[in-house]
Amino acid sequence: MLIQDIRYALRSFRRAPGFTLVALVTLALGIGGTTAIYSIVDGVLLRPLPYSDPGRILRINRIGATGGLDSFSAADYRDLKKDATSFAALAGFRSDIVDMTGRSEPVRIIGMQTTAAFFDAFDAAPLLGRTYHEATDKPGAAVAVISETTWRQQFGSNPAVIGTQVRLNGAPTEIIGVVPEYLRHPQKSDVWMLSPFDVPTSPFGVDGNDSRDIHYFGVVGRIAHDRQVVEAQQQLKSIGDQIARDQKGNAGSTFRGEPLASSMVADVRTAMLVLLGAVGFVLLIACANVAGLLIARGAARRRELAVRTALGAGRARLIQQLLTESLVLALVGGALGMLVATWTQQLLISLAPENLPRLADVALDWRIAAFALIATIGVGALFGLTPALQSSKPELNTDLKDGGRGGTSRTGLRNVMVVAQVALALVLLIGAGLMLTSFARLRAVDPGFRVTEVVTVELMLPLARFDDTAQRNFYMAVHERLKANPITAQSAMLFPFPFGGGNAQAGLQVIGQPEKPPEQRTSADLYSVSPGYLQTVGVKLLKGRDFNENDGPKSPPVILISESAIKDFGGKDPIGEKVDMGDEFTVIGIVSDARRRSLDTPPRAAVYLPYTQFVLPYMGAVVRTDRGAGAVASAVKTAVAQIDPDLPIGDVKTMEQIIEESTGEPRFRSFLIASFAVLALMLAAVGVYGLISFTVTQRVPEIGVRLALGASPRQVFAQVIGQGLRLAVIGVVLGLVAAAAATTLVRGLLFNTSATDPLVYGSLAALLLAMAALACYVPARRAMRVDPMTALRSE
Amino acid sequence: MIRLQNIEKSYRHGLSQTFVLRRVNAEIKQGDFVSIMGPSGAGKSTLLHILGMHDSAWTGEYWLHDDPIHQLSAKDRMRLQKQHIGFVFQSYHLLDNLTVYENIDLPLSYRDVKKAEREGMVADILDRFNIVGKKDLFPNQLSGGQQQLVAIARAVVAKPSLILADEPTGNLHSDQGKEIMELFRRLNEAGTTIVQVTHSKENASYGKRVINLKDGWIVDAN
Repeated sequence: MLIQDIRYALRSFRRAPGFTLVALVTLALGIGGTTAIYSIVDGVLLRPLPYSDPGRILRINRIGATGGLDSFSAADYRDLKKDATSFAALAGFRSDIVDMTGRSEPVRIIGMQTTAAFFDAFDAAPLLGRTYHEATDKPGAAVAVISETTWRQQFGSNPAVIGTQVRLNGAPTEIIGVVPEYLRHPQKSDVWMLSPFDVPTSPFGVDGNDSRDIHYFGVVGRIAHDRQVVEAQQQLKSIGDQIARDQKGNAGSTFRGEPLASSMVADVRTAMLVLLGAVGFVLLIACANVAGLLIARGAARRRELAVRTALGAGRARLIQQLLTESLVLALVGGALGMLVATWTQQLLISLAPENLPRLADVALDWRIAAFALIATIGVGALFGLTPALQSSKPELNTDLKDGGRGGTSRTGLRNVMVVAQVALALVLLIGAGLMLTSFARLRAVDPGFRVTEVVTVELMLPLARFDDTAQRNFYMAVHERLKANPITAQSAMLFPFPFGGGNAQAGLQVIGQPEKPPEQRTSADLYSVSPGYLQTVGVKLLKGRDFNENDGPKSPPVILISESAIKDFGGKDPIGEKVDMGDEFTVIGIVSDARRRSLDTPPRAAVYLPYTQFVLPYMGAVVRTDRGAGAVASAVKTAVAQIDPDLPIGDVKTMEQIIEESTGEPRFRSFLIASFAVLALMLAAVGVYGLISFTVTQRVPEIGVRLALGASPRQVFAQVIGQGLRLAVIGVVLGLVAAAAATTLVRGLLFNTSATDPLVYGSLAALLLAMAALACYVPARRAMRVDPMTALRSE
Repeated sequence: MIRLQNIEKSYRHGLSQTFVLRRVNAEIKQGDFVSIMGPSGAGKSTLLHILGMHDSAWTGEYWLHDDPIHQLSAKDRMRLQKQHIGFVFQSYHLLDNLTVYENIDLPLSYRDVKKAEREGMVADILDRFNIVGKKDLFPNQLSGGQQQLVAIARAVVAKPSLILADEPTGNLHSDQGKEIMELFRRLNEAGTTIVQVTHSKENASYGKRVINLKDGWIVDAN
């Protein structure tokens, strides 16, 4: 019986190609889009990490007095390690740029320096060789584990790599293992190196210290088998609270453990769920659309269903048949949807910002296929059930006589579907409108520095070969050479690049102003810059003087401060004042504010130090030129090679690229939601068009009578347009109310944009109404042209 | 076979009530061939649909064999309808998407007859009605007469004891009409009870008696 129903369903769809095409395209877009987005959400948010018992791996953060996440200091870590009995393994790690030499070409890769228990925490089996462990490998053993990619790219997948000696940042190290590609948490890495100490080495060159003030590494732990996650989290908090009580510098801080998977995606969780919700709306609109088509088809099939009933088909039998048709339609639509999902997923991955966490975990596999199948069956039942229930109750007497014509009572449910589509589409449109407005405002933000014709080149130095003096000499020598080259004449040295990961801060205490405890001091962003930096990037000198060649390592310590730091000077002119930041610094100038973390983070107080007095091995060159990044890269490479031929240069990026990357995530989500909204708008327009077109077909005889009785074609036109617009207006009103409620969910994703921006709401409501009017136009024109004679004869 | 007592059907419009059938009393015996006649709006088709159990909004008593239809649930009515009744419509009402074979097979599939048995029954009917060569055609590939022939084949395939026909020759020209009426006569002679609604005295002459309706009342029954 079922096979027969399926056969009849397929045949009836073949015989109604217009209906079938519209329904299948609608379903394929709805199911395909939802499946593609679900696959991204699944990979990023839902899929368990590929380790044994991943829920027991916690990322442990230090929460500062202001509530922000902070790195660990060596002393805090040691206290934690001593008291955290709920953990089977606890490890510190720090990401670093690593120069791998000792083989042919020197290569620069991303490395992670960890303490011995790192692989105990992840419990990941190596692909080759072994990993290091707390029980077997003591700090100081010069061993490293490489990633599968590094093994493939740098060692040609040679199994003899185990035991090979390489130099990592100049230090001779033995490669003891290769780990599979999936081990890329908490951050992507190409090589894992065992720290020579019980904590990772410090980027500031102060190693093995017991400082609580230098926070520089992250901690990850595996909870012991006999302990609960909550128990471990409580223990972390109580240890953190105890240290805060005991140590003045830690006042107000604590420790917090978060499951690794959720800690990695915390920043994008809301955006992902909003995207899933948005695409769910598209699927609902698609369902309403197909349901509307089926109701229309059911109305046109009233005679057939009445005949079937007269021949003995019970209601359940009719519902079974109609639902089978819906499910067949949904399954074919779902199969096409999987194709759409495959393409869409590839498109999304290519468009997704590189910093989207766990993007590599996104896959189309059985989980996604199961989701698509469930969505398909759900969709089939959702759009099929209402029309089936309605159509399976034929009024035999009239339906057999009418043959399915006349009577408009059954358009009621279709009206509901159209209103629902319009309302849902408006919610999506408004969501997209808000996101795009927010994105446009974000991109219009003046970062406070020049964006065009500026190229940056990372020039990090391996600490093992470069002490403070060597670092200073290296950067000064590079700067000299760059200035001598016409391509890079307008250049400077800088730490950190804006919107990058580099970060250094200090608490400001203006000497002569009331003494503040450390946690209440203004935390200023620190920059290390060479003379010429201000001109190169267009930061304005508002007062005083810029650094010059006389501000050397042995001259009195001087600083420039930004406008936002002036308030700490109690109304006095800051020029000539002294500031305590560990040492005493004299303010020699005031510069304009510039954004450092991102376009949406307002500028904070900033302090600029001369690179000769505050040198870090993470500096880079910033060049103002119209010759492009390639010319700059080769000029910098030449300059570096003249000083140290073994030293590769790092990433070369234009400032525009940096800005582009920093806004990748909001751009990605704005683009996606806007795409969904356009799709929703089109589907809603098809829905309105379908209903009005169907109604006009049903009303041809009535329109014929009206025209015969003297109605003008214009009146008929207005009546048809009016019918469509009435429904659209109801949908718009409901959509506005729903949008006001739903957009509270995206409030956190908006920049300088109110979630109830009346301009966005009003303009998009008008757009939707215009689209609805357009969708009514064609059937209304058809109604105008009804020939009364033909219409009445067919009656 | 059929006994109707005081069958009434009406529609309510606000406070007023319009009667379509009034106090209809009739008896139809096994093997009868009855023609229901009368002017337009007399209630002929309504009565036929009540007999066919397509309509349940009426009052009075309707006995089919010994079953009190007026007291039965919708489910039981459906069971009796499937068991006893075949329906023929003026405009054939073949399903456009189904072939001749599938149209004829449809009532059997609704009666849960096994596939192998259905194949035999449909083949037998195709043979009896001499339409084997048309079994794979769709309705729009047939003439009006051929379509009505298929519709009758569909009505009788489940071996009903009662055929209800609503103006079965209304859309046919006279030669085709005669052919169909001859077919009804042969079915009646083979023992099937037939009730037809018709405007045509010539068609009524194929039957054994006539029930005349006017304004919902039986005005003359012989």
